[in-house]
Amino acid sequence: MNNKDLDIYVLIKQVPDTRSKAGVNPDGTIDRAKAGKMLNPFDAYALQAALNAKKMGGPNSKVTAVTMGPPPAIDILYQALEHGADNTLMLSDRRLAASDTLATSYALCQTLEYAFKQNGRPGDLIFCGLQTTDGDTAQVGPEISERLDFTQITYCEDFSISDNEVHAKKIIEGGTQLVKAQLPSLITIANSYQKLKFKTLRGAQFVQDIKRSSKEEQAKFVEIIDLDACHAEELRCGLAGSPTIVSKTWKIGVVGGNCKMHQGKSVPDLVGEVVQGLPILEEFVKI
Amino acid sequence: MAGEVMVVAEQVGSKVAPVTLELLGEGKKLALKLGQHLTCFVIGHNMQDAVQEVIKAGAQKVYLADHQELAEYKTLHYRRVIVDELGKWTTPPHTLLMGSTTTGRDLAPRVAAFFETGLTADTIELDIGPYEHTSGTDETKLGYFPECLYASRPSFGESLKARILGPWKDPQMATIRPGVFPKPEMLDSAPEVEVVNVACNFQGSDYRVEIKETIRELETKVDITAADVIVAGGYGLGSGEGIDLLKQLADCFENSVIGASRKIVDLSWIDYPHQVGQTGKTVRPKIYIACGISGALQHRVGMQKSDHIIAINKDPDAPIFSFADHGIVGDLYQVIPEMINQIKSKRNSENKELKNA
Ligand SMILES: Cc1cc2nc3c(=O)[nH]c(=O)nc-3n(C[C@H](O)[C@H](O)[C@H](O)COP(=O)(O)OP(=O)(O)OC[C@H]3O[C@@H](n4cnc5c(N)ncnc54)[C@H](O)[C@@H]3O)c2cc1C
Ligand SMILES: Nc1ncnc2c1ncn2[C@@H]1O[C@H](COP(=O)(O)O)[C@@H](O)[C@H]1O
Repeated sequence: MNNKDLDIYVLIKQVPDTRSKAGVNPDGTIDRAKAGKMLNPFDAYALQAALNAKKMGGPNSKVTAVTMGPPPAIDILYQALEHGADNTLMLSDRRLAASDTLATSYALCQTLEYAFKQNGRPGDLIFCGLQTTDGDTAQVGPEISERLDFTQITYCEDFSISDNEVHAKKIIEGGTQLVKAQLPSLITIANSYQKLKFKTLRGAQFVQDIKRSSKEEQAKFVEIIDLDACHAEELRCGLAGSPTIVSKTWKIGVVGGNCKMHQGKSVPDLVGEVVQGLPILEEFVKI
Repeated sequence: MAGEVMVVAEQVGSKVAPVTLELLGEGKKLALKLGQHLTCFVIGHNMQDAVQEVIKAGAQKVYLADHQELAEYKTLHYRRVIVDELGKWTTPPHTLLMGSTTTGRDLAPRVAAFFETGLTADTIELDIGPYEHTSGTDETKLGYFPECLYASRPSFGESLKARILGPWKDPQMATIRPGVFPKPEMLDSAPEVEVVNVACNFQGSDYRVEIKETIRELETKVDITAADVIVAGGYGLGSGEGIDLLKQLADCFENSVIGASRKIVDLSWIDYPHQVGQTGKTVRPKIYIACGISGALQHRVGMQKSDHIIAINKDPDAPIFSFADHGIVGDLYQVIPEMINQIKSKRNSENKELKNA
């Protein structure tokens, strides 16, 4: 392959861990302080896509994982390194609190521009997850794409890269589409893409080594910057920079705990419980 | 003076998507509250019939971008006609609505970022109402806003509903889930309304993405939205032959059909009209029996309003058990035949009773 070297970025976010019960209030809301934290499951697909894309570029292609979040979010950057990312960058600043998608996309865009500058050239590819499990909007990716004037492929299920172009298969209403887009491109990866593979031995070793090394050494691979470093205007970030607010919330039914589970018995017993316990079934049984 | 309420129409093959009509129906109510017009932005090629359709659904003015480059949805081309047109208005629309489809979710955030305005995703309720902003560091935001767009959406795994608003900047934008609002009553014939032809000044950079092929499953006569009982299958069926078993179970019920997850539609085990979910149909049957379906979010949004959900899955941690009413943990190849058995024998004994009576 005579492909050029690719500068690949993947945007990942740390979200509350909803799989475990910790931090989930009885009414189904999340206590963010108590809840465990995890890599947004949708971003795991994006990370795999970024690592796959690296193999499609020249030998000096590299993957940089980028996140915006509070200091503990550094964990997911280490995780990205363990899986084979080459570099990481984190934007962390108190003034980012309560950012909506527009403010988030602005701040992440400034962060990416910072990275492009450090690197001496703009990126070729930015991968995003489809959506986050806490924000759950699927907006941040396309908003960044608009700001950077990249081409955009959403709901991507498969792709290949050659000659400064990405060929992709994407989900559309009622079907799929094959498209060809010029680089630079921002791609959001569908959760029907390949699952994230296991950590690499080299990656795991590498992370162990840098965690033991000096602060300066760590900063080479896990760089943390604030708003000033990436020249982000304070008024366009956080609450001030967010055009929307949540004015009110209501409970709507509890998630989980409501399902009557039938298990651990013989199949006829399990089925019997449901068939007997659900009189409505009979209303529709054919006579 | 507030601007209008605008719906951006979605089309496939020059036909208006159902979600657009739903939005026009709901948009009309918002426009009435604002004392404003309901307008519709129609984008595509050969859209004359579509224009009539949106007018019959209530649009009082139409902006039409009709160009061969717009025949199929393309992010950069569609974005271009919207931002060029709205960008020259001195009073932007008050409210701008799009469907929360794969298309709307691709386009709306680009438009929102261009205008640096707010966008609520996946809205399930809309209204117009007042809001007073009394605290916050940014003093320019303080004030009383009599007419804000209220867009409410589920959040945190759907156990909370949040009202989101952003009265500081128009257009106030939202994408709306298909299937949550009813279709409006359609007028028999379209009244005369103003149709504004929108300029299509594409730039070189708009051509950076090319569609090579579109594979769309054709609709057939199957309409799964009208059934009382849906027996739905997923990847847990293991192979296309499993559909037969679903048919046998469905045959036990009146007015029943087979539903499917996207995964098995993609695998061609069954046709697209059977697909339930975000990119399939939204259904609300009396009984939904999910067999070997994990319960991914995109499936769930299409069936969670069913009256009774029975899930059969061999994995006790499958997400579907977090919102089903009855969960049977087991192999569907054992559970379904037993279910058919029990339903049949129950029916037979009841028939006997009927005869004896
Ligand atoms: C943009 C977009 C739109 C989408 N739209 C839709 C949509 O409209 N509809 C939709 O359904 N999906 C949609 N999807 C896909 C969705 O995310 C899931 O991938 C899909 O719903 C999973 O299908 P499944 O449950 O059949 O398969 P899987 O997730 O593979 O689940 C199979 C389940 O079967 C169980 N199982 C296996 N063997 C057995 C057995 N013998 N007995 C009992 N249980 C068994 C397993 O435990 C598992 O839970 C969309 C995805 C994207 C990205
Ligand atoms: N704080 C963040 N840091 C890094 N990436 C993010 C952040 N928020 C959102 N993203 C990216 O944008 C995608 C969509 O997020 P959302 O719009 O919140 O649903 C995610 O899957 C991530 O790839």
